[in-house]
Amino acid sequence: MRPLTLWRYEIRRTGWTALLGPPIAVALGIAAALANPQPGDTTTARILLGALEMAIPLAAGVSCASLIGRDPAVEIQLTSPTAYRVTLVRRMAVTLGWTAAVAMLMAGVLIVTGWWDRWPASHGPVAGQLTWLAPTLGLSGLGFAAGAVLRSPGGAGALVTSVWAIQQFFAGSAQENLPGRLLYLFATTRGAVPGDWTANRLTLLGAAAVLIALALVVVGRSERLIDGEDE
Amino acid sequence: MTVFGASLRYEFHMQVRKRSVWIVPALILVLFVLIGGSLLRDLFDPRERAADPRTAVVALAVQIFGLLAIGFGGLLADRFVRDDRLRVAPILDATPASPGARLLGKYLGTGAATAIPIAVAYFGFATAYAVDAGAPAALGWALAAFAAVFVPGLLFVAAFALAVPMVMPAPLFRVLFVGYWLWGNVVSPDIMPTLARTLIHPLGGYPLAALFDFHGIDGQDTWAGPIPGATLNFLRPDPTPALAWLSIALLLILAAAALAGGQALRARRLR
Repeated sequence: MRPLTLWRYEIRRTGWTALLGPPIAVALGIAAALANPQPGDTTTARILLGALEMAIPLAAGVSCASLIGRDPAVEIQLTSPTAYRVTLVRRMAVTLGWTAAVAMLMAGVLIVTGWWDRWPASHGPVAGQLTWLAPTLGLSGLGFAAGAVLRSPGGAGALVTSVWAIQQFFAGSAQENLPGRLLYLFATTRGAVPGDWTANRLTLLGAAAVLIALALVVVGRSERLIDGEDE
Repeated sequence: MTVFGASLRYEFHMQVRKRSVWIVPALILVLFVLIGGSLLRDLFDPRERAADPRTAVVALAVQIFGLLAIGFGGLLADRFVRDDRLRVAPILDATPASPGARLLGKYLGTGAATAIPIAVAYFGFATAYAVDAGAPAALGWALAAFAAVFVPGLLFVAAFALAVPMVMPAPLFRVLFVGYWLWGNVVSPDIMPTLARTLIHPLGGYPLAALFDFHGIDGQDTWAGPIPGATLNFLRPDPTPALAWLSIALLLILAAAALAGGQALRARRLR
């Protein structure tokens, strides 16, 4: 199979959520910024960066939670020379690549128009890209791992959305201690201690790496994928 | 009636045996204890907890319901579209069983099964509190809060979770649903136009304020009624018990409308 055909197929199998999620997230973020009646550019800039840090990672996380458990004939996938986990990693790459393209476009527009710098904690145009990259990978890793363990897109998606929401509801108490601060998803726009920002972003990236590795180990045990799928 | 009963029983059993229906709320509760645990700890601390058992268990209801309803909606999102995806829907359609009775059975059966872990969590904590505080009345208030806040809210969420994935993929519904839940329940109306504090408030602002006289743990917050300068204030009359019942009725009517819409969409696609 030619690579182009292969990738085109994987894009289609990845699904509409991965494709539509990030642009919808951006649109809702911009709508929220426009609807904000509070005076001053700082709050508006915070909402715009919030779309990058909160909405886009949520869409990516739920998409990655839905990768496992959707193939109608996974047994055939398991007999092909390409390992199924390689296929899943390709689909995750499609999801994350598209998410990154949308996020970088939005970040680029915010940087060019000057909105980026109007939020004091934006950490510059280069390192500041971790604003969306770290929570996106963190939630995607969580979603992928939950999908691999539960084998249920519903369960894994529910877990990702609940973890996201609990960090929104309890922004203060989630950051009372150091482990909570290091794993807090919204450290740029709702972070408690600015000095922890770099460590927080790197911890999220590390957690994502661990979770993705865990998911790949679990998916590698192929008998789990056909043994009583949790529909 | 037998179709409804059979569908309800089967869907209930199918859903209640799903591992993720139990694992997801359990993990979220663990996270809640780790992150928002100070609220729970206060419940068992005689110096910190609300003096009134009613305030204590109603506050607990807001926390447990506000948090676990998100997973509840997410877990139910694939239930209605699943029959089509697994290609069993045409077989079921070929039987004399009416699609409406099947959908109603599915709705109440899967909804009840997915709500069981939530009820176990709520009544578990409420019972522990009642024993710890020596306040058996707390259990009565917990039952009342479950009936007036959890049940209408969960019926509302379940109807949309079943119907909306007819028009968008279930994962996209999960993303938009959690966004809605935050926007329509928690966001303050003076920040942006929102349904929070209106009569259409699945977290139950009007029943909380008017039926349970609940104004936050410290008695400072009200979750219903107008906010000066906010948009949509015409949907936020001053809370009264009659308006609380109206709010509950509105949630149930919207739930019925969502289900009817989902059913109509499916019938149209079959034609």
